[in-house]
Amino acid sequence: MSLSIPLRRASPPNPSIPRIQCRHATLIRRPKRPYTFTQLVTLSDGSTYTQRTTSPAPVYKSTKDTRNTPLWNPSSQKLLNMESDDSGKLRAFRDKFGRGWDASRMQERDEDVDREEGEAEVEGRGEMEEDNLMDLISGYGQEAEEKGEAAGSRKAKERSGKGKGGER
Amino acid sequence: MTRGHDALRLLARRSKSSTSTTPPLCLTCLSTLHARLTHTQASPLETAPIEPSPSGRAPPALTSTTSPSTRYLLKASILLSRPPLLTRPLTPFEKSHFLYQKRLNERLVLPFTRYFYYQRGTPEEAEWKRKMKERKTPARDIGVYNAYGEEGWNDEVLVGERIGEPEEQVEALLRDAEKEGREGADPEGAVVKREVVERPMPRVTEADRVGDLRSLNRKLERTLYLVVKGGEGLMGEEAGWRFPTALLEKSRQESLHTAAERIIVQTGGVNMNTWVVGNMPIVHNVYNYKHPVVNKQHGFELRGEKVFFMKARILAGQANLTNNKFGYEDFQWLSKEELQNTFSARDWNAVKTILPER
Repeated sequence: MSLSIPLRRASPPNPSIPRIQCRHATLIRRPKRPYTFTQLVTLSDGSTYTQRTTSPAPVYKSTKDTRNTPLWNPSSQKLLNMESDDSGKLRAFRDKFGRGWDASRMQERDEDVDREEGEAEVEGRGEMEEDNLMDLISGYGQEAEEKGEAAGSRKAKERSGKGKGGER
Repeated sequence: MTRGHDALRLLARRSKSSTSTTPPLCLTCLSTLHARLTHTQASPLETAPIEPSPSGRAPPALTSTTSPSTRYLLKASILLSRPPLLTRPLTPFEKSHFLYQKRLNERLVLPFTRYFYYQRGTPEEAEWKRKMKERKTPARDIGVYNAYGEEGWNDEVLVGERIGEPEEQVEALLRDAEKEGREGADPEGAVVKREVVERPMPRVTEADRVGDLRSLNRKLERTLYLVVKGGEGLMGEEAGWRFPTALLEKSRQESLHTAAERIIVQTGGVNMNTWVVGNMPIVHNVYNYKHPVVNKQHGFELRGEKVFFMKARILAGQANLTNNKFGYEDFQWLSKEELQNTFSARDWNAVKTILPER
Protein backbone atom coordinates (compact mmCIF):
# COMPACT_ATOMS: atom_id res chain seq x y z
CA MET A 1 0.00 0.00 0.00
CA SER A 2 1.50 3.14 -1.10
CA LEU A 3 1.46 6.10 1.21
CA SER A 4 1.70 8.55 -1.56
CA ILE A 5 -1.14 11.06 -1.79
CA PRO A 6 -2.06 12.25 -5.21
CA LEU A 7 -1.14 15.86 -5.56
CA ARG A 8 -3.90 18.28 -6.24
CA ARG A 9 -3.76 21.74 -7.49
CA ALA A 10 -4.70 24.21 -4.77
CA SER A 11 -7.98 25.72 -5.70
CA PRO A 12 -8.83 29.34 -4.87
CA PRO A 13 -11.51 29.75 -2.16
CA ASN A 14 -15.08 30.07 -3.26
CA PRO A 15 -15.92 33.74 -2.82
CA SER A 16 -19.60 33.03 -2.24
CA ILE A 17 -19.03 31.07 0.99
CA PRO A 18 -18.00 33.24 3.93
CA ARG A 19 -14.86 31.90 5.54
CA ILE A 20 -15.43 33.38 8.95
CA GLN A 21 -17.65 31.32 11.19
CA CYS A 22 -20.78 33.19 12.13
CA ARG A 23 -23.83 32.49 14.16
CA HIS A 24 -27.04 34.15 13.21
CA ALA A 25 -29.47 35.27 15.86
CA THR A 26 -31.77 32.52 17.05
CA LEU A 27 -35.28 33.28 18.02
CA ILE A 28 -35.61 33.66 21.81
CA ARG A 29 -39.22 33.54 22.76
CA ARG A 30 -40.52 36.29 24.98
CA PRO A 31 -40.93 34.86 28.49
CA LYS A 32 -44.54 34.30 29.38
CA ARG A 33 -45.31 36.58 32.24
CA PRO A 34 -48.74 36.42 33.81
CA TYR A 35 -50.82 39.56 34.11
CA THR A 36 -50.09 41.41 37.36
CA PHE A 37 -52.24 43.92 39.18
CA THR A 38 -51.33 46.56 41.71
CA GLN A 39 -52.71 45.65 45.12
CA LEU A 40 -52.99 47.78 48.22
CA VAL A 41 -51.90 45.82 51.32
CA THR A 42 -53.06 47.05 54.71
CA LEU A 43 -51.18 45.58 57.64
CA SER A 44 -52.80 45.01 61.01
CA ASP A 45 -51.51 48.28 62.45
CA GLY A 46 -52.94 50.31 59.58
CA SER A 47 -49.76 50.85 57.57
CA THR A 48 -50.20 50.34 53.85
CA TYR A 49 -48.11 49.63 50.78
CA THR A 50 -48.79 48.63 47.19
CA GLN A 51 -47.44 45.51 45.57
CA ARG A 52 -47.64 43.82 42.18
CA THR A 53 -49.54 40.55 42.31
CA THR A 54 -51.47 38.21 40.07
CA SER A 55 -54.47 38.40 42.37
CA PRO A 56 -57.21 40.64 40.98
CA ALA A 57 -58.33 41.76 44.46
CA PRO A 58 -57.60 45.49 44.67
CA VAL A 59 -57.22 45.62 48.46
CA TYR A 60 -55.83 43.06 50.89
CA LYS A 61 -56.24 43.56 54.62
CA SER A 62 -54.08 41.41 56.84
CA THR A 63 -55.28 40.36 60.30
CA LYS A 64 -52.15 38.65 61.60
CA ASP A 65 -48.66 39.81 60.68
CA THR A 66 -45.44 41.02 62.26
CA ARG A 67 -47.11 44.19 63.45
CA ASN A 68 -49.35 42.42 65.95
CA THR A 69 -47.30 39.37 66.85
CA PRO A 70 -45.92 39.54 70.42
CA LEU A 71 -42.63 38.00 69.26
CA TRP A 72 -42.00 40.96 66.96
CA ASN A 73 -43.34 43.54 69.40
CA PRO A 74 -41.75 42.72 72.76
CA SER A 75 -42.37 46.20 74.15
CA SER A 76 -46.06 46.37 73.30
CA GLN A 77 -48.10 46.18 76.48
CA LYS A 78 -51.29 45.86 74.52
CA LEU A 79 -50.19 42.65 72.85
CA LEU A 80 -48.82 41.10 76.03
CA ASN A 81 -52.26 41.22 77.63
CA MET A 82 -53.96 39.83 74.57
CA GLU A 83 -55.68 36.50 75.02
CA SER A 84 -55.76 34.37 71.94
CA ASP A 85 -59.28 33.06 71.56
CA ASP A 86 -59.46 32.58 67.81
CA SER A 87 -61.82 29.62 67.90
CA GLY A 88 -64.05 31.19 70.56
CA LYS A 89 -63.61 28.26 72.97
CA LEU A 90 -62.75 30.48 75.91
CA ARG A 91 -65.81 32.60 75.33
CA ALA A 92 -68.00 29.54 75.13
CA PHE A 93 -66.52 28.25 78.39
CA ARG A 94 -67.18 31.56 80.11
CA ASP A 95 -70.74 31.69 78.83
CA LYS A 96 -71.30 28.33 80.43
CA PHE A 97 -69.31 28.50 83.69
CA GLY A 98 -68.75 32.22 84.34
CA ARG A 99 -65.44 34.01 84.84
CA GLY A 100 -64.65 32.33 88.19
CA TRP A 101 -62.12 30.01 86.53
CA ASP A 102 -59.93 32.78 85.10
CA ALA A 103 -56.25 32.48 85.90
CA SER A 104 -56.14 35.61 88.07
CA ARG A 105 -59.08 34.46 90.19
CA MET A 106 -57.66 30.96 90.52
CA GLN A 107 -54.47 32.49 91.89
CA GLU A 108 -56.36 34.37 94.59
CA ARG A 109 -58.15 31.16 95.50
CA ASP A 110 -54.85 29.28 95.75
CA GLU A 111 -53.52 31.90 98.13
CA ASP A 112 -56.60 31.49 100.31
CA VAL A 113 -56.09 27.75 100.36
CA ASP A 114 -52.45 28.21 101.36
CA ARG A 115 -53.47 30.42 104.25
CA GLU A 116 -55.98 27.85 105.47
CA GLU A 117 -53.38 25.13 105.28
CA GLY A 118 -50.99 27.19 107.33
CA GLU A 119 -53.61 27.62 110.03
CA ALA A 120 -54.60 23.99 110.28
CA GLU A 121 -51.32 22.19 109.97
CA VAL A 122 -52.14 19.54 112.51
CA GLU A 123 -54.50 17.65 110.26
CA GLY A 124 -53.40 15.16 107.67
CA ARG A 125 -52.31 16.65 104.40
CA GLY A 126 -54.11 14.28 102.05
CA GLU A 127 -57.35 14.75 103.91
CA MET A 128 -56.87 18.50 103.70
CA GLU A 129 -56.49 18.50 99.95
CA GLU A 130 -59.49 16.30 99.55
CA ASP A 131 -61.50 18.72 101.63
CA ASN A 132 -60.34 21.62 99.55
CA LEU A 133 -61.22 19.90 96.34
CA MET A 134 -64.65 19.07 97.69
CA ASP A 135 -65.04 22.67 98.75
CA LEU A 136 -64.09 23.82 95.32
CA ILE A 137 -66.56 21.57 93.61
CA SER A 138 -69.50 22.06 95.93
CA GLY A 139 -68.94 25.60 97.15
CA TYR A 140 -67.91 27.21 93.91
CA GLY A 141 -71.28 27.72 92.29
CA GLN A 142 -72.90 29.07 95.46
CA GLU A 143 -70.06 31.42 96.17
CA ALA A 144 -70.07 32.83 92.68
CA GLU A 145 -73.83 33.18 92.74
CA GLU A 146 -73.64 35.12 95.96
CA LYS A 147 -71.24 37.52 94.33
CA GLY A 148 -73.49 37.76 91.33
CA GLU A 149 -70.76 36.58 89.01
CA ALA A 150 -72.05 33.29 87.83
CA ALA A 151 -74.41 34.65 85.26
CA GLY A 152 -73.24 31.85 83.03
CA SER A 153 -74.35 29.15 85.40
CA ARG A 154 -77.84 30.59 85.47
CA LYS A 155 -77.82 30.66 81.73
CA ALA A 156 -76.77 27.04 81.68
CA LYS A 157 -79.75 26.14 83.84
CA GLU A 158 -82.07 27.97 81.52
CA ARG A 159 -80.61 26.14 78.61
CA SER A 160 -81.17 22.78 80.26
CA GLY A 161 -84.74 23.81 80.99
CA LYS A 162 -85.27 24.61 77.38
CA GLY A 163 -83.93 21.21 76.44
CA LYS A 164 -86.52 19.58 78.66
CA GLY A 165 -89.21 21.74 77.18
CA GLY A 166 -88.24 20.50 73.79
CA GLU A 167 -88.68 16.92 74.89
CA ARG A 168 -92.16 17.49 76.10
CA MET B 1 15.68 64.56 66.41
CA THR B 2 13.86 66.46 69.13
CA ARG B 3 12.94 65.51 72.63
CA GLY B 4 9.38 64.94 71.42
CA HIS B 5 10.58 62.28 69.05
CA ASP B 6 12.30 60.41 71.84
CA ALA B 7 9.23 60.51 74.01
CA LEU B 8 7.15 59.33 71.10
CA ARG B 9 9.36 56.36 70.50
CA LEU B 10 9.22 55.50 74.16
CA LEU B 11 5.46 55.63 74.03
CA ALA B 12 5.26 53.48 70.94
CA ARG B 13 7.51 50.89 72.53
CA ARG B 14 5.40 50.88 75.67
CA SER B 15 2.16 50.53 73.78
CA LYS B 16 3.52 47.60 71.80
CA SER B 17 4.66 45.59 74.82
CA SER B 18 1.57 44.06 76.35
CA THR B 19 3.24 43.47 79.70
CA SER B 20 3.41 47.14 80.57
CA THR B 21 0.64 48.54 82.74
CA THR B 22 -0.11 51.53 80.53
CA PRO B 23 -2.93 51.10 78.04
CA PRO B 24 -1.95 50.89 74.34
CA LEU B 25 -2.09 54.03 72.24
CA CYS B 26 -3.45 54.40 68.76
CA LEU B 27 -1.53 56.03 65.92
CA THR B 28 -3.73 59.13 65.86
CA CYS B 29 -3.11 59.75 69.52
CA LEU B 30 0.60 59.32 68.98
CA SER B 31 0.72 61.84 66.16
CA THR B 32 -1.38 64.43 67.97
CA LEU B 33 0.68 63.86 71.06
CA HIS B 34 3.82 64.49 69.08
CA ALA B 35 2.44 67.73 67.69
CA ARG B 36 1.53 68.84 71.17
CA LEU B 37 4.83 67.88 72.72
CA THR B 38 6.73 70.00 70.25
CA HIS B 39 4.22 72.78 70.79
CA THR B 40 3.90 72.94 74.57
CA GLN B 41 7.46 73.82 75.32
CA ALA B 42 6.86 77.47 74.43
CA SER B 43 3.40 77.85 75.93
CA PRO B 44 3.13 79.40 79.39
CA LEU B 45 1.85 77.02 82.05
CA GLU B 46 -0.89 77.96 84.41
CA THR B 47 -1.05 76.67 87.93
CA ALA B 48 -4.60 75.94 88.82
CA PRO B 49 -5.97 73.17 91.00
CA ILE B 50 -8.29 71.09 88.87
CA GLU B 51 -10.12 67.84 89.10
CA PRO B 52 -8.14 64.88 87.82
CA SER B 53 -8.80 63.39 84.42
CA PRO B 54 -11.97 61.29 84.25
CA SER B 55 -10.31 58.30 82.75
CA GLY B 56 -7.23 56.24 83.29
CA ARG B 57 -6.74 55.82 79.58
CA ALA B 58 -5.26 59.27 79.04
CA PRO B 59 -1.64 59.14 77.95
CA PRO B 60 0.71 58.41 80.84
CA ALA B 61 3.18 60.89 82.20
CA LEU B 62 6.15 61.18 79.91
CA THR B 63 8.73 62.93 81.97
CA SER B 64 7.12 64.04 85.15
CA THR B 65 9.83 66.47 86.11
CA THR B 66 9.98 68.76 83.10
CA SER B 67 6.95 68.42 80.80
CA PRO B 68 3.49 67.49 82.08
CA SER B 69 1.43 64.86 80.23
CA THR B 70 -1.64 66.05 78.38
CA ARG B 71 -5.07 64.81 79.27
CA TYR B 72 -8.57 65.35 77.97
CA LEU B 73 -11.96 65.04 79.56
CA LEU B 74 -13.68 62.13 77.82
CA LYS B 75 -17.35 62.51 77.03
CA ALA B 76 -19.92 60.39 75.25
CA SER B 77 -22.65 62.04 73.20
CA ILE B 78 -25.75 60.11 72.19
CA LEU B 79 -27.22 60.37 68.70
CA LEU B 80 -30.55 58.79 69.56
CA SER B 81 -32.56 58.63 66.37
CA ARG B 82 -35.94 57.43 65.23
CA PRO B 83 -35.70 55.87 61.76
CA PRO B 84 -38.11 57.00 59.04
CA LEU B 85 -41.42 55.16 59.16
CA LEU B 86 -42.58 55.98 55.63
CA THR B 87 -40.93 55.71 52.25
CA ARG B 88 -39.80 58.97 50.74
CA PRO B 89 -42.12 60.89 48.41
CA LEU B 90 -41.42 60.27 44.72
CA THR B 91 -40.05 62.94 42.42
CA PRO B 92 -42.26 64.04 39.48
CA PHE B 93 -39.90 62.25 37.08
CA GLU B 94 -40.18 59.00 39.03
CA LYS B 95 -43.96 59.25 39.09
CA SER B 96 -44.26 59.71 35.33
CA HIS B 97 -41.63 57.03 34.70
CA PHE B 98 -43.42 54.45 36.81
CA LEU B 99 -46.74 55.18 35.11
CA TYR B 100 -45.11 54.84 31.70
CA GLN B 101 -43.54 51.52 32.73
CA LYS B 102 -46.89 50.21 33.92
CA ARG B 103 -48.59 51.12 30.66
CA LEU B 104 -45.74 49.64 28.65
CA ASN B 105 -46.08 46.47 30.71
CA GLU B 106 -49.74 46.31 29.68
CA ARG B 107 -48.61 45.82 26.10
CA LEU B 108 -45.98 43.21 26.92
CA VAL B 109 -47.58 40.77 29.39
CA LEU B 110 -50.00 38.00 28.65
CA PRO B 111 -53.60 39.17 28.74
CA PHE B 112 -55.51 38.70 31.98
CA THR B 113 -57.18 35.28 32.20
CA ARG B 114 -60.54 36.35 33.49
CA TYR B 115 -62.19 32.94 33.73
CA PHE B 116 -59.51 31.61 36.01
CA TYR B 117 -60.48 34.14 38.67
CA TYR B 118 -64.17 34.85 37.94
CA GLN B 119 -66.65 32.08 37.29
CA ARG B 120 -68.91 32.52 34.30
CA GLY B 121 -72.33 33.87 35.12
CA THR B 122 -71.58 35.04 38.65
CA PRO B 123 -72.30 38.58 39.89
CA GLU B 124 -68.55 39.08 40.32
CA GLU B 125 -68.04 38.44 36.66
CA ALA B 126 -70.79 40.88 35.74
CA GLU B 127 -69.23 43.54 37.92
CA TRP B 128 -65.80 42.85 36.49
CA LYS B 129 -67.17 43.27 32.97
CA ARG B 130 -68.85 46.52 33.85
CA LYS B 131 -65.74 48.01 35.40
CA MET B 132 -63.56 46.70 32.61
CA LYS B 133 -65.79 48.50 30.11
CA GLU B 134 -65.19 51.78 31.92
CA ARG B 135 -61.44 51.65 32.25
CA LYS B 136 -60.66 49.55 29.14
CA THR B 137 -57.89 47.64 30.97
CA PRO B 138 -57.76 45.17 33.87
CA ALA B 139 -55.39 47.44 35.81
CA ARG B 140 -56.98 50.01 38.10
CA ASP B 141 -54.09 52.33 38.66
CA ILE B 142 -53.14 53.45 35.16
CA GLY B 143 -56.25 55.37 34.24
CA VAL B 144 -58.31 54.75 31.11
CA TYR B 145 -55.83 53.13 28.77
CA ASN B 146 -56.31 50.48 26.12
CA ALA B 147 -53.01 48.75 25.40
CA TYR B 148 -54.30 47.01 22.26
CA GLY B 149 -56.33 49.86 20.81
CA GLU B 150 -55.54 52.62 18.33
CA GLU B 151 -54.39 54.88 21.12
CA GLY B 152 -51.98 52.31 22.63
CA TRP B 153 -48.99 54.49 21.83
CA ASN B 154 -50.36 57.32 23.94
CA ASP B 155 -48.91 55.93 27.16
CA GLU B 156 -47.10 58.84 28.77
CA VAL B 157 -48.52 60.97 31.56
CA LEU B 158 -49.93 64.23 30.26
CA VAL B 159 -49.40 67.65 31.75
CA GLY B 160 -51.80 68.25 34.61
CA GLU B 161 -52.89 64.59 34.75
CA ARG B 162 -53.09 63.28 38.31
CA ILE B 163 -53.07 59.54 37.56
CA GLY B 164 -49.30 59.35 38.06
CA GLU B 165 -49.62 60.41 41.70
CA PRO B 166 -49.36 57.49 44.17
CA GLU B 167 -52.23 58.94 46.25
CA GLU B 168 -54.44 58.98 43.18
CA GLN B 169 -53.54 55.37 42.37
CA VAL B 170 -54.33 54.23 45.92
CA GLU B 171 -57.61 56.09 45.73
CA ALA B 172 -58.41 54.32 42.44
CA LEU B 173 -57.73 50.94 44.07
CA LEU B 174 -59.96 51.76 47.02
CA ARG B 175 -62.75 53.00 44.78
CA ASP B 176 -62.57 49.72 42.91
CA ALA B 177 -62.69 47.74 46.15
CA GLU B 178 -65.97 49.36 47.15
CA LYS B 179 -68.71 46.89 46.40
CA GLU B 180 -71.85 48.31 44.94
CA GLY B 181 -75.24 46.75 45.30
CA ARG B 182 -77.35 47.26 42.15
CA GLU B 183 -81.04 46.99 41.58
CA GLY B 184 -82.16 43.90 39.70
CA ALA B 185 -79.98 41.54 37.75
CA ASP B 186 -79.02 44.23 35.26
CA PRO B 187 -75.39 45.26 35.83
CA GLU B 188 -76.30 48.77 34.68
CA GLY B 189 -79.04 49.13 37.30
CA ALA B 190 -79.11 52.03 39.76
CA VAL B 191 -76.69 51.90 42.70
CA VAL B 192 -78.50 50.90 45.87
CA LYS B 193 -75.73 50.64 48.41
CA ARG B 194 -72.03 51.38 48.36
CA GLU B 195 -69.73 49.74 50.89
CA VAL B 196 -67.05 52.23 51.87
CA VAL B 197 -63.53 50.87 52.34
CA GLU B 198 -61.41 52.35 55.10
CA ARG B 199 -58.87 54.86 53.80
CA PRO B 200 -55.21 54.50 54.83
CA MET B 201 -53.72 56.87 57.39
CA PRO B 202 -52.46 60.18 56.00
CA ARG B 203 -48.73 60.80 55.63
CA VAL B 204 -49.09 64.08 57.54
CA THR B 205 -49.92 63.50 61.19
CA GLU B 206 -51.62 65.59 63.83
CA ALA B 207 -48.23 66.44 65.38
CA ASP B 208 -47.09 67.83 62.01
CA ARG B 209 -50.11 70.06 61.75
CA VAL B 210 -49.86 71.34 65.33
CA GLY B 211 -46.06 71.64 65.13
CA ASP B 212 -45.42 69.50 68.20
CA LEU B 213 -41.63 69.13 68.22
CA ARG B 214 -41.65 66.71 71.14
CA SER B 215 -43.79 64.11 69.45
CA LEU B 216 -42.27 61.05 67.84
CA ASN B 217 -45.17 60.93 65.38
CA ARG B 218 -43.91 63.89 63.38
CA LYS B 219 -42.08 63.91 60.03
CA LEU B 220 -42.72 60.22 59.41
CA GLU B 221 -40.50 60.08 56.33
CA ARG B 222 -37.46 61.61 58.05
CA THR B 223 -34.98 60.47 60.68
CA LEU B 224 -35.53 62.31 63.95
CA TYR B 225 -32.83 62.96 66.55
CA LEU B 226 -33.21 63.58 70.25
CA VAL B 227 -31.82 66.95 71.33
CA VAL B 228 -31.91 68.36 74.86
CA LYS B 229 -31.55 71.80 76.33
CA GLY B 230 -29.99 72.86 79.62
CA GLY B 231 -27.47 71.13 81.82
CA GLU B 232 -23.76 71.64 81.61
CA GLY B 233 -22.50 72.58 78.15
CA LEU B 234 -19.20 71.89 76.48
CA MET B 235 -16.16 73.68 77.89
CA GLY B 236 -18.28 75.16 80.65
CA GLU B 237 -20.29 77.28 78.24
CA GLU B 238 -23.98 78.05 78.29
CA ALA B 239 -25.71 74.99 76.93
CA GLY B 240 -28.13 75.44 74.06
CA TRP B 241 -29.82 72.65 72.16
CA ARG B 242 -27.50 69.68 71.70
CA PHE B 243 -27.31 65.91 71.88
CA PRO B 244 -27.29 64.40 75.40
CA THR B 245 -23.65 64.40 76.48
CA ALA B 246 -21.97 63.25 79.68
CA LEU B 247 -18.58 62.35 81.08
CA LEU B 248 -17.44 58.76 81.12
CA GLU B 249 -17.32 57.38 84.65
CA LYS B 250 -13.68 57.12 85.63
CA SER B 251 -14.35 55.01 88.70
CA ARG B 252 -15.79 52.15 86.68
CA GLN B 253 -13.36 52.34 83.75
CA GLU B 254 -16.48 52.70 81.68
CA SER B 255 -16.47 51.80 78.01
CA LEU B 256 -18.21 53.95 75.43
CA HIS B 257 -21.16 51.70 74.70
CA THR B 258 -21.97 51.06 78.36
CA ALA B 259 -21.70 54.79 78.93
CA ALA B 260 -24.09 55.32 76.03
CA GLU B 261 -26.65 52.98 77.54
CA ARG B 262 -26.28 54.65 80.93
CA ILE B 263 -26.63 58.17 79.50
CA ILE B 264 -29.76 57.23 77.56
CA VAL B 265 -31.43 55.92 80.68
CA GLN B 266 -30.26 58.80 82.86
CA THR B 267 -31.50 61.31 80.31
CA GLY B 268 -34.78 59.96 79.00
CA GLY B 269 -35.83 57.52 81.69
CA VAL B 270 -36.61 53.84 81.38
CA ASN B 271 -39.70 54.29 79.25
CA MET B 272 -37.70 54.03 76.03
CA ASN B 273 -36.89 50.88 74.12
CA THR B 274 -33.49 51.77 72.70
CA TRP B 275 -30.64 50.02 71.00
CA VAL B 276 -27.06 51.26 70.88
CA VAL B 277 -26.02 50.34 67.36
CA GLY B 278 -22.32 49.67 67.85
CA ASN B 279 -19.53 49.63 70.40
CA MET B 280 -17.56 52.15 68.37
CA PRO B 281 -18.27 55.87 68.12
CA ILE B 282 -19.37 57.08 64.69
CA VAL B 283 -17.37 60.29 65.01
CA HIS B 284 -15.30 62.03 67.63
CA ASN B 285 -14.50 65.65 68.18
CA VAL B 286 -11.69 67.36 70.09
CA TYR B 287 -12.26 70.69 71.80
CA ASN B 288 -9.15 72.45 73.11
CA TYR B 289 -9.24 74.96 75.92
CA LYS B 290 -7.80 78.38 75.14
CA HIS B 291 -5.51 78.02 78.12
CA PRO B 292 -4.74 74.44 79.16
CA VAL B 293 -5.13 73.75 82.86
CA VAL B 294 -2.02 72.35 84.52
CA ASN B 295 -2.15 70.14 87.57
CA LYS B 296 1.32 70.24 89.09
CA GLN B 297 0.50 67.87 91.89
CA HIS B 298 -0.34 64.96 89.58
CA GLY B 299 1.86 66.17 86.79
CA PHE B 300 -0.51 66.51 83.88
CA GLU B 301 -2.05 69.18 81.79
CA LEU B 302 -5.76 69.27 80.95
CA ARG B 303 -5.97 70.29 77.35
CA GLY B 304 -9.66 70.18 76.60
CA GLU B 305 -12.48 67.76 75.92
CA LYS B 306 -12.94 64.84 73.58
CA VAL B 307 -16.52 63.99 72.66
CA PHE B 308 -17.38 60.60 71.16
CA PHE B 309 -20.71 60.34 69.34
CA MET B 310 -22.51 57.03 69.82
CA LYS B 311 -25.33 56.03 67.51
CA ALA B 312 -28.52 54.64 69.02
CA ARG B 313 -32.03 53.91 67.81
CA ILE B 314 -35.32 54.32 69.62
CA LEU B 315 -37.73 51.48 68.88
CA ALA B 316 -40.61 52.36 71.18
CA GLY B 317 -41.52 54.66 74.04
CA GLN B 318 -40.85 58.34 74.57
CA ALA B 319 -38.28 60.42 76.42
CA ASN B 320 -39.21 61.73 79.85
CA LEU B 321 -36.85 64.30 81.38
CA THR B 322 -38.21 64.26 84.91
CA ASN B 323 -35.51 62.89 87.25
CA ASN B 324 -32.81 63.17 84.59
CA LYS B 325 -29.34 63.33 86.11
CA PHE B 326 -27.82 66.04 83.96
CA GLY B 327 -30.18 68.93 84.61
CA TYR B 328 -31.79 68.93 81.18
CA GLU B 329 -34.89 71.08 80.97
CA ASP B 330 -36.44 70.35 77.60
CA PHE B 331 -36.17 67.93 74.70
CA GLN B 332 -37.15 67.83 71.04
CA TRP B 333 -37.14 65.36 68.19
CA LEU B 334 -35.66 67.15 65.18
CA SER B 335 -34.80 66.27 61.60
CA LYS B 336 -31.50 67.12 59.95
CA GLU B 337 -32.47 70.56 58.63
CA GLU B 338 -33.99 71.52 61.96
CA LEU B 339 -30.78 70.45 63.69
CA GLN B 340 -28.84 72.82 61.47
CA ASN B 341 -31.08 75.70 62.43
CA THR B 342 -31.05 74.83 66.12
CA PHE B 343 -27.42 73.93 66.76
CA SER B 344 -24.55 76.34 67.13
CA ALA B 345 -22.20 76.42 64.14
CA ARG B 346 -19.53 74.48 66.03
CA ASP B 347 -21.90 71.72 67.11
CA TRP B 348 -23.40 71.48 63.64
CA ASN B 349 -20.00 71.17 61.97
CA ALA B 350 -19.12 68.37 64.36
CA VAL B 351 -22.02 66.15 63.26
CA LYS B 352 -23.16 67.30 59.83
CA THR B 353 -21.18 64.69 57.93
CA ILE B 354 -22.51 61.70 59.85
CA LEU B 355 -26.22 62.42 59.59
CA PRO B 356 -27.95 60.64 56.71
CA GLU B 357 -29.73 62.75 54.11
CA ARG B 358 -33.19 61.59 54.99
